[in-house]
Amino acid sequence: MIIELKDVVKRYGEGPLAVTALDDVQLLVAAGEFVVVLGPSGSGKTTLLNLIGALDTATSGTVRVNGVDLVGASRAALFDFRGASVSFIFQSFNLFPGLTAQENVQFGVDAAGSAADSTDVLERVGLGDKLDRFPHELSGGEQQRVAIARALATDNPVLLCDEPTGELDFGTGVTILELLQGQATGSRAVLVVTHNREISRMADRVVELSSGRIVADGPPSGGKVPVTELHW
Amino acid sequence: MMLLLRWSWRDLRAHWAKVLAIAVVIGIGTGGYAGLTSTAEWRRVSYDVSYRQLAMYDLRVDLATGSTAPESALAAVLADIASQEDVVAAEERLIFPTQVDASFGDETILVRGQVTGADFREGGPQVNAFHAFTGRALTAADAGEPVVMVERSFALFYGLPGTGELAISGDRELAYVGQVTTPEYFAVAPEGEMFMSEATYAAIFTTLETAQEVAGLPSRVNNLVLTITDTADRDAIQQELEAALARAGLGATVATRDDNLSYSALTTDVDQDQAMFNVLAFLLFAGAVGAAFNLIHRLAEQQRREIGIGMAIGVRPRVLAIRPLLVSVQIAVLGVIFGVVIGTLIGNAMAAVFQSIVPLPVWETPFQTGVFAGVAVVGLLVPFGASAIPVWRAVRVAPIAAIKPTHLVAKEAASPKARHATTNTFRAMPLRNLRRAPRRTVLTILGIAAAMTVLVGFLGIMDSVFDAVDVAEVEANGTRPDRIAVTLDGFYPIGSPAVQAIEDAASVAEVEPVLRVVASVDRGGDDIDVIVELADLDGGMWAPSVSAGALTDELGVLLSEKAAADLGVTVGDTVTFHHPRRTGLTSYAFVDSEIVVVALHPNPVRGFLYMDIGSSGLFGLEGLANGLNVLPTPGATTEAVQQELFDVDSAASVQSVTAVMEAVRNAFDQMLGIIQVMVVAILLLALLIAFNTAAINLDARARDHATMFAFGVKVRTALRIAMTESFAVGVIATAMGAAGGAALVWWMTQVLLPETLPDFQLHVVLKPSTAAAVLVMGIVATAAAPLFTYRRMRRMDVPGTLRLME
Repeated sequence: MIIELKDVVKRYGEGPLAVTALDDVQLLVAAGEFVVVLGPSGSGKTTLLNLIGALDTATSGTVRVNGVDLVGASRAALFDFRGASVSFIFQSFNLFPGLTAQENVQFGVDAAGSAADSTDVLERVGLGDKLDRFPHELSGGEQQRVAIARALATDNPVLLCDEPTGELDFGTGVTILELLQGQATGSRAVLVVTHNREISRMADRVVELSSGRIVADGPPSGGKVPVTELHW
Repeated sequence: MMLLLRWSWRDLRAHWAKVLAIAVVIGIGTGGYAGLTSTAEWRRVSYDVSYRQLAMYDLRVDLATGSTAPESALAAVLADIASQEDVVAAEERLIFPTQVDASFGDETILVRGQVTGADFREGGPQVNAFHAFTGRALTAADAGEPVVMVERSFALFYGLPGTGELAISGDRELAYVGQVTTPEYFAVAPEGEMFMSEATYAAIFTTLETAQEVAGLPSRVNNLVLTITDTADRDAIQQELEAALARAGLGATVATRDDNLSYSALTTDVDQDQAMFNVLAFLLFAGAVGAAFNLIHRLAEQQRREIGIGMAIGVRPRVLAIRPLLVSVQIAVLGVIFGVVIGTLIGNAMAAVFQSIVPLPVWETPFQTGVFAGVAVVGLLVPFGASAIPVWRAVRVAPIAAIKPTHLVAKEAASPKARHATTNTFRAMPLRNLRRAPRRTVLTILGIAAAMTVLVGFLGIMDSVFDAVDVAEVEANGTRPDRIAVTLDGFYPIGSPAVQAIEDAASVAEVEPVLRVVASVDRGGDDIDVIVELADLDGGMWAPSVSAGALTDELGVLLSEKAAADLGVTVGDTVTFHHPRRTGLTSYAFVDSEIVVVALHPNPVRGFLYMDIGSSGLFGLEGLANGLNVLPTPGATTEAVQQELFDVDSAASVQSVTAVMEAVRNAFDQMLGIIQVMVVAILLLALLIAFNTAAINLDARARDHATMFAFGVKVRTALRIAMTESFAVGVIATAMGAAGGAALVWWMTQVLLPETLPDFQLHVVLKPSTAAAVLVMGIVATAAAPLFTYRRMRRMDVPGTLRLME
């Protein structure tokens, strides 16, 4: 398994003010899976993403990603882990405004030390003709595609997407989801966090969170559908 | 309103370091300005009060060198002038040159000096009174006693005890009962010496009776000083006195207080000195204000999103403007407080320096509230202006445009160069960050550059001055740096016992007679005072180097390049030479001679004029000498020669040829105190600007950094990118500051100081050590500023920051 979470608890604060964001979470994700983590606001889905991405540490339990045990790992080890194992795609893209599209993708190459060609990666996401554009010269969908290209350029095996269509219109969102779904092949797993239930219909597997607990884990209830059948 | 106040208080707590640092930047600008520009008023007031308190003379009568008159003879001349009722007080004095041995402990102090005998009867002297800093002033009871007072600047320079003993020529031991000042010595500038010569000149004051007894001139005087009423016509009285002295058969000169170098240098140059301080103060102020504006602007800009949210829920723009403006109030109020504190600190430091340079009886250095108030208004307005602009820009767009996180993303000009793909984004990011916000970058650079300009200006002017001193020293040394200049106490025939006594000294290997007289040269315009030295320029012990023309034994003068330039003459031209000529055994008259400029010398001291000793006939001084160039025997030091010749009555002073330059160096060393005060303030300013820029950059780029960390980029890499960016700012700002500073040094050395310090030729010089220091301070300090943000960067809440903007 590329992602293994066992008995994971995450609490913020102490004493009577303590808030349990995740409680007794068990999760296994295999390479090649396209998993959607679904839940309303405050259900703990972003916390789950942060733990898997080593942006945060669990209060207790085991978090193992790409063979690295993240609980108790040193700060330096966590930095190394992020550089070599996971890549993030954010709702608001988080592109570097001073770098062109190609340079933003090159950043992913430089950060991970991968051998990817930034031009090739951008061509794969359909932006081969916009290499030299700055982020503010691109549409929202194009910016998110650059963000995806940046994540892909790292060649890391886990792609973590936090509400990747949150700032996009339906049509663009669908295109992005199709692109992300296409990355879940071979040795790479894709984890998409969203509150949009419709998106979960295209997933291989849906993990549903409520109040910090996994309340459902399995294929979409109505069966997996092609992305073209999504509506919102 | 209470909510806004509470919110503002939280803003202050969240940004306290930045608010404090910006307030200190404003404080340095306003306080530094007030401190620097206050000195003119302090000096003007302090000089006026001090000169009045000690009754500086209005007119001074000096008998011809070496001549004296019976006591009361000079005062009696006053009865023979028409304006005698305008004379308030008059004092006869006896003044004679001497050598002074003020050695104490292990330190040997042998310098040229002068004894002034004044009348202390009836609470006198009424003109040129004394103020004692240590011990006591003399009284009538000291008449005829072997007690004296020593001049304060000389005593301070050598750290003499408050009271003690000294000896003067003729091995006369005297007790000094106090360290004093008197108006002629507020700054030590004796005739024939440089301004601030306390290192090489000791003025001794005693009672008239004691002076007469020591000089062996009982009941004789040679000097009269007088004060006149405020409404009297000084020039008219001067002319009446000159006529009356001539009628009385007394060969004398009558000078006004303006002719006194010490007085004129201190009083008339105040405004010119202040012009330099004003320029430096303005640059410091402009740099601080510009930097504060930029930093506050960026702080306020960070609230734009919240302003947009406020607009979206219907809050009126003027209400939304209150919160950022409250931050401005905090900065403005703190800035004024820091301005008062820093202004007082800088003022006190500068006052202390001035008090040590010019020990006046009264120094009045109040905080210049008026000066400060003027700049404080600007200091108050800047924060409001800096906040108002981003607020105005936020409220005039649609709320959604203000809310968008892209508001912090300045649009980069679509420069083709910027679009060239880079091979390493970590290396490209710093410059891209600078390019994408050109206005911020330029303002930051300008703030630091202004500070560096002032720093280079301060250091460069000192380099230029010390370079000139070095050149003068090299010139004075020539090929014989062991040469010693002996001044005789009068004119003696060459080969006379007085000269022979010096030649026969065991420590003296060789002597060469010289003549040194005071004269002036002109060419139809303003005249230039010169010290003429007549020596054997062809094959003698020493000759000045020649930069134009050639040394010749024909009649002619060797002028300094500066004097030639100021007179508008060159080699081969003729100048009018106003010089003394002996008319009797001890009488002299000033005459004009037209004389050819045969050569120029590069000594930066304008007033050094040389002639061959063969021209002594022009002065009626054939076969005479009033000075000697002396070479010590091998192994003998200058000090040994000084000690041996101290017992020779005819030797009025014995000093190394570089002693004058040492005095100049000492004078400028004292000025370094002011420089050091300002250098500290400037460095602090540059560091604060750099720190604040780095801190605000950290806030503005929090998401960039969080994204980097999410991709596994280490803190040190992010810090390195920030430091590279700051390094680039530091390089550009320091380069601009160096260029601006060089221009400032040029202006000061070539435009301002020729007015203030006309007797000294200065070139623009920036020593490599200064350049290196400026580079290190400007670039390294700026580049290192992001290190202060390391802790915050390391503790960044990465997930929180990533979501914060969404």
